[in-house]
Amino acid sequence: MLTATEWEVLALSVSIAGRAVLFALPLALITGWVMARTRFPGRTLLDAVLHSSLFLPPVVVGLVLILLFGNDGPIGEMLARFGIRLIFTANGAALAAGVMAFPLMLRACRQAIEAVDPRIEAVADSLGAGFWDRTFSITLPLAAPGLIAAAVIGFAAALGEFGAVITFAANIPGETQTLALAIYAALQQPGGEAVALRLAGISFGVAIVALLSSEALLAYGRRRSGQ
Amino acid sequence: MNRRTLISALCAFGVTTVSATAASAAPPATRATITVFAAASLTDALQAVGKAYTARTGVPVRFSFASSSLLARQIESGAKADMFVSADQVWMNHAQKAGRIDAGSRRTLLRGRLVLIAPADSRVAVRIAPRFPLAQALGANGRLAVGDPAYVPAGIYAQTALTRLGVWPSVQTRLARADNVRVALSYVARHEAPLGIVYETDARAERGVRIVGIFSEASHPAIDYPAALVRGASPVARGFAAYLQSPAAKATFRRYGFRTFG
Amino acid sequence: MISVAIHRTLGAFDLDVAFDGPADGVTVLFGPSGAGKSATLAAIAGSGPIDRGHVALGSRVLFDSATRVNVPQRARRIGWVFQDARLFPHLRVEANLRYGMKRAPKAAQRIDFDHVVGVLDIGHLLPRGVRDLSGGERQRVALGRALLSQPELLLLDEPLAALDGGRKAEVLAYIARLKADFALPMLYVTHSPDEVHAIADHVVMLDHGRVVATGTPAIVGGARVGAEIVGRDEHGVLLRVPHGDVVPGTTLDLTIDR
Repeated sequence: MLTATEWEVLALSVSIAGRAVLFALPLALITGWVMARTRFPGRTLLDAVLHSSLFLPPVVVGLVLILLFGNDGPIGEMLARFGIRLIFTANGAALAAGVMAFPLMLRACRQAIEAVDPRIEAVADSLGAGFWDRTFSITLPLAAPGLIAAAVIGFAAALGEFGAVITFAANIPGETQTLALAIYAALQQPGGEAVALRLAGISFGVAIVALLSSEALLAYGRRRSGQ
Repeated sequence: MNRRTLISALCAFGVTTVSATAASAAPPATRATITVFAAASLTDALQAVGKAYTARTGVPVRFSFASSSLLARQIESGAKADMFVSADQVWMNHAQKAGRIDAGSRRTLLRGRLVLIAPADSRVAVRIAPRFPLAQALGANGRLAVGDPAYVPAGIYAQTALTRLGVWPSVQTRLARADNVRVALSYVARHEAPLGIVYETDARAERGVRIVGIFSEASHPAIDYPAALVRGASPVARGFAAYLQSPAAKATFRRYGFRTFG
Repeated sequence: MISVAIHRTLGAFDLDVAFDGPADGVTVLFGPSGAGKSATLAAIAGSGPIDRGHVALGSRVLFDSATRVNVPQRARRIGWVFQDARLFPHLRVEANLRYGMKRAPKAAQRIDFDHVVGVLDIGHLLPRGVRDLSGGERQRVALGRALLSQPELLLLDEPLAALDGGRKAEVLAYIARLKADFALPMLYVTHSPDEVHAIADHVVMLDHGRVVATGTPAIVGGARVGAEIVGRDEHGVLLRVPHGDVVPGTTLDLTIDR
């Protein structure tokens, strides 16, 4: 049904989008918790900065990533000492996609935490549960549906991300050429519309599968907690 | 904010959006501007020429610089450009086949050369010759920065040249394919890639790179920059097309490293 | 013996409360809404700040501003029941009950799971989820959960306020059972005189953040009702008292107006 190249591009896309979520979700969870539960001066400013990849052009985000993580950049140099190179690699593509997907995941995580009644957490405290105990036994399980939604949104956004990925990771078939990049490349060639359409269909299929999986996960969670 | 403020804010937003849309939809013929779609590698040279033209005639020239493939597609789908300057004949042919080009106005405007570049502070020394050790020169991890050979003209030329020199198979999997040649240039300038292949004019414009070698004209088809008016171009645009052939404009192009005709 | 002396600035007024309560039995904090009863409970539990004062349970000092002692809430061994139960929605009844029990030190385990389940009649609810319990069932589970965390003091903050008439009586009866079966001091907040008369051993009256009276339940005025004589037998008169919140076994003081 799918050609070998198409399978390769699909597998690479899913792998990169998955890595993007893996790297961005814990950060989104922690910052979402901070935004939901704490107050401090400069909080609104921090909120705006965290959302900046939402309103900056993706190519600009890619350029900023080059400045920071490229061979000459401060973080890039530091990582190079450990033998880690991100630019022009699949992990770099995941980084770029993850940065673009981060604000959406942050919003979803924050709302998920806000939906947990702090008074329930207070009850857990009175029953002897310390902060980490409470967080893992009460807050996170109650926030789980929202956190799953955050992961799905992040995955979908990362899967479709183009500008930041092609700028930071370039278009390298087999390494960084995701579905989005492959569709773009196909469209650039005369007569490439058919290929582009097929790839777009595959993208759509992946998104549907992700959505259905998350629904199934949520339903399972609901059954397990006796609701 | 209370409900009334919210509603008035929404109304103001709606009115602004509608009037902005109406204004931008105004027929361009009432404003004498020339819109030129041109390949990214012509950015600096064409902007200089455009500025000189505006200083002379008072007619502003607007440029849209991107990869020739993207521009050809946009023109194909009816983008309101007056002129198209492509980085190869293929994409001009494409636009012409789609019936969007005024064939009578088509001229080969400029010719360029293909060069191998390295970061300015790099000391790599490579001589371009059949089967030259390009892959070794890249080192263990390095990639060769090029425009995407699938659709960027500079990349297509690069692939042709490397193939004719017998070097293509050794570097085929070691490319950093950029969406346009300027991005490839910046990869090299920023040390992200140890070597790259771009146009001579790009290399001359970027101080962060130096030219390691020049590809002979035998190794690739002529790098010709065809220029043509788009069907339905405003009459003012003919003046600019003529100016591009003037001695003054040609001198400017040569200053940037292009070769001119006549 | 509970010993409390709390001074704290709230919004509209200052909380300036000092009282002692017996080592077992129910001490009721009684007063109108906004008198500072819940804030006092919060301060005792350790979830509300105290500007200066002293809270002690027997010989255990939980808070002392002079010596800078402030035991964190989760270490105070105080159980707390709210009017809205606040059960953990993602856990079944049994898991809710065992939550505090699992986190109590092994040495302190003296309140037994099956005993509590038996007294509160919640055995049949154990495998159920929390969503479809009735109000009365929820409160019984909340009581059980607080009890099973092995507390040395139980705080009850208007536990019947969210229940309707019949449920109130039912849950109050269970609280009375707890009082009988477990030797545990309880601090019970309410503004209902009927609850005072039903359950209190000792009463502390609060108003505008201050203690205005302490003593036996008699100090709290009861509600006036009209009673109707419906019969007579060899022991006396039979009366119908139309007040559903009165629990069977309650002693009524009657004043007969002719």
